[in-house]
This record gives sequence, C-alpha cells and structure tokens, in this order.
Amino acid sequence: MIKYIIKIFKSGWINLKRQGFLTLATSIVIFIAVLLGTFLYMFQGGMSFLTEAIKDKIDVSIYFNEQVSREEILKIREEVAKLEEVNKVSYVSPEEAYENFVKTHENDPYLESLKAIEINPFLPSLVIQTKEPSQYKVVSEFFKKEEYSSLVYEIDDYKRGTIIDRISSLSSGIRNIGMVLTLFLGLIAIIVTFNTLRVSIYSQREEIEIMRLVGAKNSFVRGPFLIQGVLCGLFAAILCFVFSLLLLFLLKSNLENLFMGFDMFGFYKDHIIIILLLQLFIGVGLGLISSFFAVRKYLKD
Amino acid sequence: MIEFKNVNKKYPANSFREEKMALDNVSFGIKEGEFVTLCGRSGAGKTTILKLISCEEKPSSGEVLFENQSMCDIRKSEACFLRQKVGSIFQDYKLLSYKTVFENVAYALEAFDFDENKIEEEVIQVLDLVGLKDKVNCFPRELSGGEKQRVSIARALIHRPKVILADEPTGNLDPYHSRDVVKVLLKINEAGSTIILSTHSKEIVNALKKRVITLEDGRIIRDEEKGRFFL
Repeated sequence: MIKYIIKIFKSGWINLKRQGFLTLATSIVIFIAVLLGTFLYMFQGGMSFLTEAIKDKIDVSIYFNEQVSREEILKIREEVAKLEEVNKVSYVSPEEAYENFVKTHENDPYLESLKAIEINPFLPSLVIQTKEPSQYKVVSEFFKKEEYSSLVYEIDDYKRGTIIDRISSLSSGIRNIGMVLTLFLGLIAIIVTFNTLRVSIYSQREEIEIMRLVGAKNSFVRGPFLIQGVLCGLFAAILCFVFSLLLLFLLKSNLENLFMGFDMFGFYKDHIIIILLLQLFIGVGLGLISSFFAVRKYLKD
Repeated sequence: MIEFKNVNKKYPANSFREEKMALDNVSFGIKEGEFVTLCGRSGAGKTTILKLISCEEKPSSGEVLFENQSMCDIRKSEACFLRQKVGSIFQDYKLLSYKTVFENVAYALEAFDFDENKIEEEVIQVLDLVGLKDKVNCFPRELSGGEKQRVSIARALIHRPKVILADEPTGNLDPYHSRDVVKVLLKINEAGSTIILSTHSKEIVNALKKRVITLEDGRIIRDEEKGRFFL
C-alpha cells in the first residue's frame, strides 16, 4: 500500500514538472484565490479593529451638580460599575476637567476668557463606556431614576444619542457588507480555480482514457491528478505567504495611514500561524477538491 | 476463449447522426492461440468488435463471453481486471505524451502493482524485443510513426496478456514499418498469445494466411480458415 502511494506521488510530481506551463497557470490562479482569502481575513481583522476603535471613542458623560461630593459620586460609580452593560466608569473631577480643557484647547482664543473669569466652571462627572455602543440608553435610564435625578445636572446622551445610534448601525453594516463580500469573492475564487483545473484536466481527457484502456484502476488514474492539485495549491500557498508578508512589510507605513492606524503588518505577524494555516487550507483544499471533481467526470461508469 | 452470441450493437442517434447499427446479429468464437484478422470497409464493425472484447462498449443485445465470463455485467470501473488479460494496440498509438518510452511501457505494469525492480527488467526486455532499447528516455513526440507503434505494441505485450487486440495498427504506417509490425505480431502469436487484428490492408491479409472474418455493414459475410482479402 505504501509503495502504491509513493508510486502515485512520484507520478504526480513528475507530471507536475513536465507540464510546466499548465502547472504555472494553475498555481497562479490558486495563488490569486489564496491571496484573496488572506486579504479577506485581514479585512475582517481590520473591521474588528475599527469597530473596537469606534466603540472606545463612544462614551456617555454624566455631569453632577456642583454641591454633590466626590465621595457620593464615587459611591454612584460603584453602583454603575455593577451594571452588566457597563465596561468602564471613570470619575473626572472639576480640576481634571479644567486641565483637560486647557490641554486640548491650548491655542484657542476662548481659553483666555476662561482664564479671565478666574473660576472653574466645570462640573464633576462620570465618563461611562458601555460594552456595546447601543447600550448607552441603559446608562441614561439608570441616572433618570428618582434617587439620582436630583444629583445629576446633565446627561449628555441627548446630544450624542443619534451619533451613537448611527455609528452603531454603521459598524454592524460594515461587518455585514464584509461578510457578504467575503462569501461572494470566496465563491468567485472557488469557481475560477475549479474551472482552470477543469480546463487543464479536460486537455488531458484522452490521456485519462488511455490510462483506463491500459488497465489502470480509477484510483491509480485519479491519484496523480490529486497530487498535482495538492502540490499546485501548496506552491501557491507558500508563494502567497511570502508575497503578502513582503508586500505588507514594504507598504507598512502607507497602509497604516490609509486604514486609520490599523497596522496590517503587525496583524499579519501576530496571526502568522493562523494565516499560514488558512493559506495552506485554501490552497491545498482548492487544488484537491477541484482536481477531484474535474477528473471524476472522466472516471464515471 | 472468446465467444460472440447473437450480438447486436446500436449507436444511438444524435443531432449529427441517425441511429446506426454497428453490429447485426454477430456470432463467432475464437480459440486460445488463434490469429484472427477482421477485415472490411471503414464502418463495417471491426473496431466495435474489439471495443466489445476490451469492455469499452457493451452490446445492445446478445452476449459476449471471455473465458466463459459474460462481459455484459462488468462495470467500466471493474474493466481494469479484464484489461490485465487483454493488451490493446491502436491505429493512433494512444501514448501518454508526458511520459517517456520507458514510462509509457512501464505504466501498464505499474497499474497492476508490479514490483519496481521487476518492472525495469521486463520493460527493457520488451523494448529490446521491439527494437527500441536505445529510445527508452525519448518522449513520444521525438519518435517516428513506426517507433510510436512499436512502443504501443511493447505496452500491449508487457503484462503478457492472453489476447492482443490490434486495431488497424498499420493504418498510419508505410509498407516497411507495416511489415515490421506484422512480424512482431506473428512472433507474439507464436509465443502463445491470441491475436485479433483489424485491418483493411489487402497485402497484410493475403500474406498472413490465417483465419479471416470479413464484415460488411455490421454482419459477418465470410469466416474462413486461411482466408484471403475479399471485398
């Protein structure tokens, strides 16, 4: 049995070497499919990064009345933190708020007017980040309760509510589009690869018939074609691995600016094993399955 | 050894062709070690008879027996076991273009899972027999028509089949190469193999002085021991 497999493997390898142009053409098509798969995986990674980045920037600020003490606010903070929907709560004192304002508006003319009034107009606040952007409503409802409403000066979700809603639906929209795009492009890649292999095997249909006439069993005819498909896929996957690594390294800074700080090279490096396995899976899988179905047509009874 | 009992073979009609009766109530038998020539015009049914023996085609009705086993029940995927007993030679050689002469001949043995050392020994021996020992590493595209046909003969011989089916093996060859091919076939027959040769070459049929089955429009019109070409 092992000898038989070695014989099939050897035959597949020899055919692969001798059919240079066909091998190259098939490998290039599988390479494109693997490259597409790699970038779709990275696109999904990029989408997660962007969604997380957007989520990080979405928070609800609760401004308390001037007379509410720091201790009282910290107690409320503990209560809020217990809410299931809440991810992070930070207390911002009036002094910190003042400092932050000065820092962010360093060159603004109205910083002068703020200094001129000589008092700190900022109120103490809690900056609350929810797990999902859409959950900000739970937080605002929490502070509308009777026991807190007298302490609260303002809940700023009235201003930001629509923006949060929009961003939230936008990020899920982008995710859905990404998913549909992945499926659609993936399907195209499979069809193109299958067709290329089918044409390549079609050109050898007479040889398949000869093999059968000479007395070869179906498995002996099919084997070398499957090995050829697998080797083309393997070659394409390795080529794609090196090519994309090199491309991302060379375009590192350009891509980072283009994709809002998403470090594609870093992502590739961090997920290098998964990406390599994915590439091998796509390349070898496509080569094997396409060859199997393409040659099956000529081996039917 | 081989028996045809009231065999009919119809090829169904398609958009280019009407239904065609390739064999019409054909019955004959072939004994082990015989040299039988099938002759007749193109389309008379010679190739169909060979295809029925090698299990490439199935009869529409009637029965084809090979060593008392009916060929009608054998599926295409199981035909490989029958083809271990049959060697085929084709007019268009049917060589594997990406394989060398050695590999083309060895393929038939590899397909039957022979030992690798034995394969090499046997292939060299049979290539020597057909006079191609010095062409082992050539590809089919580097050979002449006669040489290609000799590779095809070597491949048909390599697994020592009981029957050799030669479908117009001299059809693409000049008279010199044709004579060589016939000589090889006679030599194989003397060694004990049954030969079924399909041809429409008058010179070959008359020179052989062996059994001749003459076909016309799918029917046997003559079956003579030491027959002559007659059309």
